[in-house]
Amino acid sequence: MKTKSFIIALLVSAFALTSCMDKDWETPAYMTVLPSYGNNYLVAGTPTTIAELQSKYASTISALASKQITDDLWLRCVVTGNDMGSNIYKQISVQDETGGIIIGINGSDQGAFMPVGQKLLIRLQGLYIGGYGEQAQIGSLYNGSIGRMEVSEWVQHVRLIMDGMAEAVAFGTMKVDTIEFDASKTMAQQAGRVVHLSGVTISGGGTQIIAPDDGTVDLISNCVNRTISGGNAGDKCVLRTSPYADFKGIALPNGPVELYGIATYFKGTWQILARTQSDLAWVK
Amino acid sequence: MKIKHLLLVFAIAATPLSHAQTTKTADVDSLGTVGHELMDDSDFTFTESQLGENDDLTADVIRITSNSNVYLNQIGWAWSGIWFKYRALDNSCSDTYMNGVQVNNPENGRFSYSTIGGMNDAVRNREDVSPFEANNFSFSGIGGGSNYNLRASQMPAGHKVTLSGANRSYTLRGMYSYGSGLSKDGWAFFGTVGYRWANMQTAAVKGTFYNSLSFFLSLQKVWGEKHSLNLAAWASPTERATAGATTDEASWLANDYLYNPNWGYQNGEKRASRVITNFEPSFLLTWDYNIKENMKLTTSAFLKWAEYKSTNLYYSGTNPKPDYWKRFPSYYYNVWGNGNGQNDDFDAFWSSYEKWQDERYRQINFDELYFANTQLNKIGADAIYWIEARHNDHLMTNLSSTYDWNFSKGQKWSVGVQLLSTRSSHYKTMDDLLGGQYFHNTNTHLVGDYQQTAAEAMYDVNHGYQRIVEGDRFGYDYNIWNQDVKLWTSFSMDKGIQHNYIAGRIGGRRMWREGFMCNGLFQNNSYGKSGIAHFLDGGLKMGSTINLGKGHAISAGVGYELKAPKSYVAFMCPEMNNDYVQNLRNEKVVSAELGYAISNKWLRLNLGGYYYYTHDGNDWQQFFNDDSHSFTYNSLNGIKKEYYGVELGIRLRITSSLDVVALGTYSEAKYIENTNVYWMNSNTTQINSDICYNKGMREGGTPLAAVSLGLNYRIKRWYLNVTGNYYDRMYLYYSPNMRYASTLKIRYNKDDVSEYDAPQQARGNGGFMLDASIGRQFQVAHHPLSINLQLCNLTNRRNITTGGYEQSRSNYSVKERVENSETQFVKDKERNYQFDKNPKKFYTLGFNFMLNVNYRF
Repeated sequence: MKTKSFIIALLVSAFALTSCMDKDWETPAYMTVLPSYGNNYLVAGTPTTIAELQSKYASTISALASKQITDDLWLRCVVTGNDMGSNIYKQISVQDETGGIIIGINGSDQGAFMPVGQKLLIRLQGLYIGGYGEQAQIGSLYNGSIGRMEVSEWVQHVRLIMDGMAEAVAFGTMKVDTIEFDASKTMAQQAGRVVHLSGVTISGGGTQIIAPDDGTVDLISNCVNRTISGGNAGDKCVLRTSPYADFKGIALPNGPVELYGIATYFKGTWQILARTQSDLAWVK
Repeated sequence: MKIKHLLLVFAIAATPLSHAQTTKTADVDSLGTVGHELMDDSDFTFTESQLGENDDLTADVIRITSNSNVYLNQIGWAWSGIWFKYRALDNSCSDTYMNGVQVNNPENGRFSYSTIGGMNDAVRNREDVSPFEANNFSFSGIGGGSNYNLRASQMPAGHKVTLSGANRSYTLRGMYSYGSGLSKDGWAFFGTVGYRWANMQTAAVKGTFYNSLSFFLSLQKVWGEKHSLNLAAWASPTERATAGATTDEASWLANDYLYNPNWGYQNGEKRASRVITNFEPSFLLTWDYNIKENMKLTTSAFLKWAEYKSTNLYYSGTNPKPDYWKRFPSYYYNVWGNGNGQNDDFDAFWSSYEKWQDERYRQINFDELYFANTQLNKIGADAIYWIEARHNDHLMTNLSSTYDWNFSKGQKWSVGVQLLSTRSSHYKTMDDLLGGQYFHNTNTHLVGDYQQTAAEAMYDVNHGYQRIVEGDRFGYDYNIWNQDVKLWTSFSMDKGIQHNYIAGRIGGRRMWREGFMCNGLFQNNSYGKSGIAHFLDGGLKMGSTINLGKGHAISAGVGYELKAPKSYVAFMCPEMNNDYVQNLRNEKVVSAELGYAISNKWLRLNLGGYYYYTHDGNDWQQFFNDDSHSFTYNSLNGIKKEYYGVELGIRLRITSSLDVVALGTYSEAKYIENTNVYWMNSNTTQINSDICYNKGMREGGTPLAAVSLGLNYRIKRWYLNVTGNYYDRMYLYYSPNMRYASTLKIRYNKDDVSEYDAPQQARGNGGFMLDASIGRQFQVAHHPLSINLQLCNLTNRRNITTGGYEQSRSNYSVKERVENSETQFVKDKERNYQFDKNPKKFYTLGFNFMLNVNYRF
């Protein structure tokens, strides 16, 4: 009888006590309206555009200088490039309907928080703008020049606008289309935008991979530059790829191809930054 | 009667001490088969492998005691607070038996004490033997052995309720046991059920919890005086969150020696990232056959199905763990003063310091991880943060039979056979995608060298570019089989003033791997069975005790043993392929011990010394190698070590109610020669050989010197104990990788390096700890009620180290490969962060207590 009682007590205890402590965690519901990244308290003030911004600070940018933005300006834009392919390093590119610009952020995995297509509301006041090799860039002051800002600073200046938010309405039907690359365009007209090149030939094609890290190709500021010619490439255009890129081992094609990328401008040369492997249209 | 009560009180007082659980119980759970604390990389190193990722740090400690030796009798609980390792030996050096059948896991040789946690009343009845002590259940290892007697008729009859409260890894414990005793018709039953609990608000270490149910049942039928059959079954399903080791900088920034990076907030709730879940139901059937009065045959069959999983936060982007080295102030500024200052950024240093003052920064930000993954869902990309579970399951079926013959007075002969078969299953599952939709079964360390969809980058070519969702297996999936046969015998004989014994064993082991994934880098040798490795081993030892009269005795023992390698060190990279490590062979162990004892009415003294020499040993590790951006698998072989030391135990009876216990040991346990190493990275198929300059490295995780002085006072059902312990010479587990010739060549930028270039081994802090215990027995309704309060670390010394390990990363970054060079890499830049000055450590709890009340009826 005592044995029976014991077994009953044991079974009751077993059922009563063995509930899990580490519960099944669900995705917090608030995330769709309250992102866990950026400053959700930002409310837009005086709006500006990328073109207006580059125009206003044109002399600073062309002088490779930098200047703090002191006016209460707000930028609505969409992310077009980031570090998802491990090629663009600690930068994102953003566009609105007037142009594109680079934002330097000293943090990794920014592409996961701000994927391509993410709408951003940026409070520009307090940030710096300047020219890095004549490429317009928003960031922070670094040794007197424009550099990357710390993530902690960036997240105070940016609000991620999610679909369904009231602020999303202000973006209206903003289009950030890919444009055909045109070497004759100015930095302000084309830099920072997603561009399309077609019928172009890439140096090293047929024999090499894009960005070897075995010393067979000289690195220029830690990246491999492959000359792009023909098609709509113009005469000063390179495909710039990091040896850390996820697609660094892709074989270069031996013939005219098309590709996409972020156009950046560095001391008179257009540098095309492929974002992910899918920008290399010849890769199946 | 009075003596009985005193003994009872003493036993009750000692019990909670001997089963005390402190910080490490909660947090140590490292690698055996090396787990993945994947890319913090440093957490997942050799050191943790030595600590036993599959279990607890408790699994690394040998629980030994002996009624005939004061030192052995006392150290188990006196030094439990520091996780003292007997003779600095790993748990695998001690053999554990249950009703005569061996229950150590053959894969790593260890016995997991956590599998019998919470069932104290059921496992109290055991025989412990020191390494050179005759016994009738085994040829014991150099760490001794234990045989638990789980027969129902041997358990105490009656009811017992135990309630405990503590501020340790668990807060509350309740146990109930009932024993029927042996009935007239030959039946006996014993059962116990226990529960241990702490949640994240009450556990001593922040961010941990403890949720463990234990039950044990034993049923025995006795037929006359000849036969008995006993069936025992038990399990201890447990779920617990564990803490991690921490650097001094992290402890300082968090103002907490027990800083635990393994938890964070999700939607305002605390959540742990490292949760261990284990359920290991065990069944033991024992047939006792008393052939004659002096002849006995014991046969046991043991079956265990163990399910064990340990979760870990992992990622394919940047390490999100709060103790990632790039988040520390010293990443920005070289605080050691040995840098060139070129990379120092004091503003960033200060900014990082200020961030660390915020708990949200120094713990995991789960909300952010969820948000990133949900963002990636929108573009159809893989999750970049997830919680994965590493599973180490095993099915163990063991059979033993032991024949004992006391063929004349003082002469005993035992012979036994053990048949052991274990299938260990190792695989990884996706535990929680943290809001992500899926992940691909791809080796992300290879992406770049190969396209993401290339076969070489796939973990399982048979399933192609496979999407992984929660619950799926990914990464690796394989079984390791171990089959052992052991035949052993021992003979002991009293002759005049001598007691002599001799024991021997011979055994065979075979092992193989069976892969269930076709790894892209090893498509020809990862799926299916490996070749079978066979080993023949054995040993011989003998000892003698000479009674010199008047309570004086001397004893001596010597032994030689060949030990087959454990399967967890036998494969080069079992997560990827079927290849065995090179030069795998039996380890050789020479052992000797000498002792002197006094035993009389007022004094018991044991003074002893020992010497062990091992060679041809093997060890294995894996860790994330920052320089190669991949995991590195290393096999150390031909290891030569020495263990030696002196041990002293004294129990001095001053009055009938007061005695003094003094304990002391001073020991050495170190590598005596540099070691050959073979290593390979997980992003290549090439195996490299090197030399590890580890000569002089000591065993880690235990003080090599300890002394203790205790006072025991018993009067009128009161029991009082005050014990002071002092520990010293605590070493941390060394990092072999930092001592490879190739590493040192890069570090010092020269081609000619030697052991003198190897860095000094990191050390932990010893120190003084004061413990006390007070107990009282009452009679309630004619039954004994006992209350005991144990107070540990009364002086609240928080900086005493209980273990830890060096980080396996360099103080510098490297740059491109040098063609045809042994070094392969050259130093690029010195880092501000000095890994060799930031070993990870475990610390003791501060002041802690346990209140224990039990009632028998």
